[in-house]
Amino acid sequence: MRIATSVLLLLPLAHPLLALKAHDFKTCSQSAFCRRGRALAERAPTAGSSWHSPYTIVPSSVALSSSASSFTSSVKSELYPDINFELEVRIHEDGVVRVRMDEVKGLRKRYDEASSWALVREPSLKNVKDVKWVKGKNEVKGVYDDVEVRVQYQPLKVSLWKGGREEVVLNGKELLHMEHFRVKEEKKEPETAEGGAEQAEQAVLQAPARPTAWFEGEEEDGLWAESFSTWTDQKPKGPESLSLDIHFPGHANVYGIPQHASPLSLPTTTGPSPHYTDPYRLYNLDVFEYLADSPMSLYGSIPFLHAHSAESTVGIFNAIASETWIDVSHPTEDSTLTHWVSESGILDVFLLPGPTPEDVFKQYARLTGTSAMPAHWALGYHQCRWNYISSEDVRSVQKRFDEDDFPLDVLWLDIEYSEEHKYFIWDAKNFPDPVAMVNDVAALGRKMVVIVDPHLKRVSTYPVYEKAKELDVLVKGRDGKEEYEGWCWSGSSAWVDFFHPGSWDWWKSLFRLTDGKDKDSWRWVDSTENVHIWNDMNEPSVFNGPEITMPKDNVHYGGWEHRDIHNINGMLFQNLTSQAITTRGSTPKRPFVLSRSFYAGSQRLSAIWTGDNMGSWEHMAVGIPMVLSNGIAGMTFAGADVGGFFGNPDPEMLVRWYQVGIFAPFFRAHAHIDTKRREPYLLEEPHKSIVRDVIRLRYSLLSVWYTSFRRANADGVPILRPHWVMFPKDKKGFAIDDQYFIGDSGLLVKPVTKPGATETQVYIPEDQVYYDYFTYNAYRGSAAGKTITVSSPLEKIPLFIRGGSIVPTRARPRRSSPLMKKDPFTLTVALSQAELATGELYLDDGESFDHQKGDLVWRKFDAWTLKAAKRTRMTLKSSDMTKSGQTVVDGSLVAPGAYRADNAYAKSVQSVRVEKLVILGLPKKPTTVIVQGVAQKEGWTWEGGVAADGKKEGGASVLVIKNPNLKIVDDWLVEVEF
Amino acid sequence: MYSKLSLACLTLPVLTLPVYSKPVIPVGVDPQRASLYSPIPGTALWKCLDGSGEIPFSAVNDDFCDCKDGSDEPGTSACANGLFYCANEGHVSAKIRSSRVNDGLCEPECCDGSDEPSGVCPNICEEIGKEYRAAAEAEQKTRRTGAKIRSTYIAFAQKEKKRLEDAISALNIEVAEKRANEARVKDILERTEALDAAALAHKKESPLYRHLEDKNDILSSLLTSHAELKERITALEAVLDGLKRGYNPNYQDMAVLEAVRGWEALSGEADKDKDKEPAAADDSSAKPAEPPVEEEEWTLDQINEIKNKDVVSLLLEHEKHIGSSGITTEQATSLLYSLELYIPDAFLPIYQSAREWLVSTLSLLGVVTTPASTDSSSEISKARTSHSLALNALHNAENSLKSEQEALEKLFALDGFGKKGEWKKLKDVCLEKDTGEYTYTVCLFGSATQKSNRDGASNNLGRYSSWNTSPSTSPGELAYYSRQIYDHGAQCWNGPQRSVTLDLSCGTENALLSISEPEKCEYSFVGTTPALCWLDGEMEEAKTVKAEKHRRKEDL
Repeated sequence: MRIATSVLLLLPLAHPLLALKAHDFKTCSQSAFCRRGRALAERAPTAGSSWHSPYTIVPSSVALSSSASSFTSSVKSELYPDINFELEVRIHEDGVVRVRMDEVKGLRKRYDEASSWALVREPSLKNVKDVKWVKGKNEVKGVYDDVEVRVQYQPLKVSLWKGGREEVVLNGKELLHMEHFRVKEEKKEPETAEGGAEQAEQAVLQAPARPTAWFEGEEEDGLWAESFSTWTDQKPKGPESLSLDIHFPGHANVYGIPQHASPLSLPTTTGPSPHYTDPYRLYNLDVFEYLADSPMSLYGSIPFLHAHSAESTVGIFNAIASETWIDVSHPTEDSTLTHWVSESGILDVFLLPGPTPEDVFKQYARLTGTSAMPAHWALGYHQCRWNYISSEDVRSVQKRFDEDDFPLDVLWLDIEYSEEHKYFIWDAKNFPDPVAMVNDVAALGRKMVVIVDPHLKRVSTYPVYEKAKELDVLVKGRDGKEEYEGWCWSGSSAWVDFFHPGSWDWWKSLFRLTDGKDKDSWRWVDSTENVHIWNDMNEPSVFNGPEITMPKDNVHYGGWEHRDIHNINGMLFQNLTSQAITTRGSTPKRPFVLSRSFYAGSQRLSAIWTGDNMGSWEHMAVGIPMVLSNGIAGMTFAGADVGGFFGNPDPEMLVRWYQVGIFAPFFRAHAHIDTKRREPYLLEEPHKSIVRDVIRLRYSLLSVWYTSFRRANADGVPILRPHWVMFPKDKKGFAIDDQYFIGDSGLLVKPVTKPGATETQVYIPEDQVYYDYFTYNAYRGSAAGKTITVSSPLEKIPLFIRGGSIVPTRARPRRSSPLMKKDPFTLTVALSQAELATGELYLDDGESFDHQKGDLVWRKFDAWTLKAAKRTRMTLKSSDMTKSGQTVVDGSLVAPGAYRADNAYAKSVQSVRVEKLVILGLPKKPTTVIVQGVAQKEGWTWEGGVAADGKKEGGASVLVIKNPNLKIVDDWLVEVEF
Repeated sequence: MYSKLSLACLTLPVLTLPVYSKPVIPVGVDPQRASLYSPIPGTALWKCLDGSGEIPFSAVNDDFCDCKDGSDEPGTSACANGLFYCANEGHVSAKIRSSRVNDGLCEPECCDGSDEPSGVCPNICEEIGKEYRAAAEAEQKTRRTGAKIRSTYIAFAQKEKKRLEDAISALNIEVAEKRANEARVKDILERTEALDAAALAHKKESPLYRHLEDKNDILSSLLTSHAELKERITALEAVLDGLKRGYNPNYQDMAVLEAVRGWEALSGEADKDKDKEPAAADDSSAKPAEPPVEEEEWTLDQINEIKNKDVVSLLLEHEKHIGSSGITTEQATSLLYSLELYIPDAFLPIYQSAREWLVSTLSLLGVVTTPASTDSSSEISKARTSHSLALNALHNAENSLKSEQEALEKLFALDGFGKKGEWKKLKDVCLEKDTGEYTYTVCLFGSATQKSNRDGASNNLGRYSSWNTSPSTSPGELAYYSRQIYDHGAQCWNGPQRSVTLDLSCGTENALLSISEPEKCEYSFVGTTPALCWLDGEMEEAKTVKAEKHRRKEDL
């Protein structure tokens, strides 16, 4: 105790910056329903064999549907025999199983719309012919492919079997509990009449034990009103929480349920010596100066979990929008138990059968959609600060970037651009010429991103607020009548209720670049097509609300309480803004809308970032698993602020952070208003030139990123691939979360996140050659996995090309990515040990939706080697990989019949050359280089070195073919004989 | 300003070329460097400029980067970090970075459009050249007008120099006089003291004296700690005032709100501020009103007077007071001692030894007894007083001399008022800018302030600390005088001490043009002054000076 106190006393002194206000946020023990859920879970093992689930299926009620693969049945709880529940099990076309349970004919209705926001469309069900239903005495079994869904009647249990193995079990540990709606019982005051005292005492003593106590506990714990700090949640609907155990008998690793600042492979929260003592929490919150290792809630929530073993992978999507706590433990070394406790909403769980990680990604993408195809420029470098203070400041920052030749695509404006934080309304004193300013930025092919937060200043001079009030689309207070008033940047504020359909068209109209039908309605005229939007504070953040967010008893459209929809709220705001940006001009353009809050499905909209991180090495490091974790939960367009939002990183930290940042899908530097300016041009040498080279590296790899985004857009596989995704059978890689692969490119990166590092250990998971990206030094892994040590001084990023990859790059530095449009390509062919290689390149106009009509270029590159008696020949081939009508997980890649190789986009880039071919790992000097059938006497150079095949390490052999006079859009062949 | 610098780096005057037979200059090559771009004689090869390799001459500008140094692609974007030469006929030639070549944009720096394939960018050099020359002419005009004003500053400095020199020579004489007098009086004091040192030592054993000494020590230490505490309180008050003014009520941080309310209550401001005296808030709101001095309370001056009293003199006076019951002897003997004041210096030793003899004899004879020492105490006390007066007078004169000498030195110091003293005229000249919410003031070489136009509350933004501290400039250069730093202003809540960077350029008026706060509590003022309107000759001079310095450094 004394130690603890002294630590507490010392900490604030030693680290005045590390100032999370932990008391602002709840722990499980401060949240009544979490307390109840955890108590239930603790009661079960102590009860021993007498423990059983009170929920049973009424066998006679089981009704198979004739038209589709599903059944419904009544469920009863022995605790409350008068309450009715209904269970529904559906089998989707792709084998995903959906399990729904709701209270029916109750006092009220549970919130059941979370899935309607999360799902991209209503999933189609398996053809009834393809499922065989078997009714047993105590179970009903659905059999399809090699999968069995077993639904046990008593006690209720749903399990998914695959290849004869039990993969997922719902209520296997019998912790399912759906608290039903009830009428609040008025507590009877003990009679105080004379002579009654004794009686009253007796009455208390004789109060009968609650019959449900064995399951629910002796005490009623916080069923109705509940206080936290100075706030009281009135909970007019009473208890309605949901407890559910999901057991993975054969999977020792679980990943997902972002967003938490925690390792990718989720550590335990219960059981013997758990890593964390609180459960993982999903409740979107604006956490000021969050901790770098914690299961606490952050800004976004995706209730999607992967369970993985060397044998199989399965996924769980729990479509719930209310506050949810998840305990993770390992009952045995090879199994994982998760216990989910949610405050409200129906049970709506999707079981994704896998069996590979890739299958799970595709199954999840079919449910919630793939990530949107971003605008190409959005993958460039974003420079942000709270705040660039005037239009002159913006121009001068841009100028300094150009003077020092740093590539830059986007300049950002935080909240101070607006007059009194009335978003849209420019502060005319500092931004007298917003459109001219944007045009000056756009003159170099750049964009601006301007912040629009969801809180509206409550003044009659603010047309946005006035209109929202007039339309009656503001979030209501607990009485459901008056608009809710809270505090945020703009002072006294109100929030648009984006659940209200009446807000949708109006919100979109605000962004319209030309007058619409309603000419008198206010719209943002001081904007252009080059302005995109940042939606911050959309958890929502409310400075004077409980846990810095909205009171849970606020009322939204349809009478739903804020508690029911909280985790979806932020996504809806980003959704409407994305739609607004897409449709504001004469032709639809891809929107860029950065959001801080997110939910399952947010990937369909645009980007998110990991929120207000701190300028510390710990935060730099944890940013990597956070971005990986978002990615495997679908939210692949994500990044952490380079440099850290708070604090003043030293030059070494800043350099390393840029090296981390360029390997995230979203690459933005940002800084708090209290920090020193730290734009890269302010660095001294050598740091300045190192950062310039780092940002240029990002730009040279933009084609790799864009192609990976297209891949993710097509099939839902994340852009950043952790080891367990790439090598699902390699147990040594299951917990690795500090190195990863980029899409299918074969690039493996391990950013350095430690001060003073000169060497870095990199895990090579396979018996394959890996080439250092910069030096072409060849390293070898082994089938059992091997850790190598590479030199990593400040200017060096450990970056490798996996043998067997062909990497397309554009080496010419430009000021912004649109200026690279006509630049030639370099193809680096990194031969595998089998002397093969493959790669792809996707291109389109980068901003319109014409790619959906077939205006695109998607090339496939293949290299192979044929050994003949006299000579060996390596062939490199470029071919078209787009097939018209090709289906992908989320519809079709291109409308059927629409694709033509000579489409308008392809024509616009038909002159773009391949300027250089670099072939790594040929065994000996070529005798002949043949381009399109013509032998080249000159124009290639050879540097001897290690061959791809074999066991040697060291500098790889390099063949450079200069200016082969090939076009990137064409089919061609290059042959090398030796 | 930045752009001008970089433009200066990249923009080179077009030089007339010698009229030999012109070789074909590859695209993007500066004609001055044309000779570097010819094949190795007798071959079709070309050597990379860093000597790192030989390539076919045909590979120069073939849109592929062959050389490590990128020198083979002066006219394309194939090599990173290269420079492309635009002739810009009709304007001034320029070199642009290779990242701008063939990027589809028409660079204003390359007005002839030669960096893009033909037909992409029109040649607008004539137009741009005209604008450029007009702008340059306007700038020259401003510079000439400003330079005239500046010459009056220089004349002022010359006048000031004359004044200081005169003052210094007068002060030199005064110091000499005062020094001689001090020496004389000191001599008297020493003799007087020597005479009585033993007696004094004995008297100092007096418990009363010791007690007095102790009390004095205690008083000193109390005063020190009192001063320290007072300083601390002032600092804390400043912090709390800053907090009160600067806290963001939007954060809803209860701890901060409580602190602010507590402070308002404590400083009795909550009501005062709201009800009346918004104008008086300027000064008094910064500090809680000082409690009125109670009658019995000692003022600091009084205490200091007591503390600084010469204890030895007091001891002697005390002796005298106790010993003398009447008046006469004191007066008489004092006359005897004071005589020495009237005796010419030359005779003084004789007189003193005679007096010593007389006194000791008389004492032996019992004619003069103990009271004599009392009398001598009084003499010592007087001698002390006159010495300290003389010493003070000397110090005053010396200080005046020193400050005038320093002023003279600073007048023409490179890091003071400039080589020609032109900035002296501007000392304490205050420039003001009203930005709507605040009025900003900087008094040159003094301090900078921010005053709220709403309630008049004012913030100290810092005091003058130096000219441009950037390592890229040094005293004597125009860039050095183009920036002043004011720092150690009032502490910011959750931020640093306020500071100002004042960037100045040539203009016909001393004026502030804009104010901004690019980083929290670090202000940027931009203004103009004729003091920076250097004529071309001076620019050259400054360059030569710099070059010379450089050379000398290298010689060393």
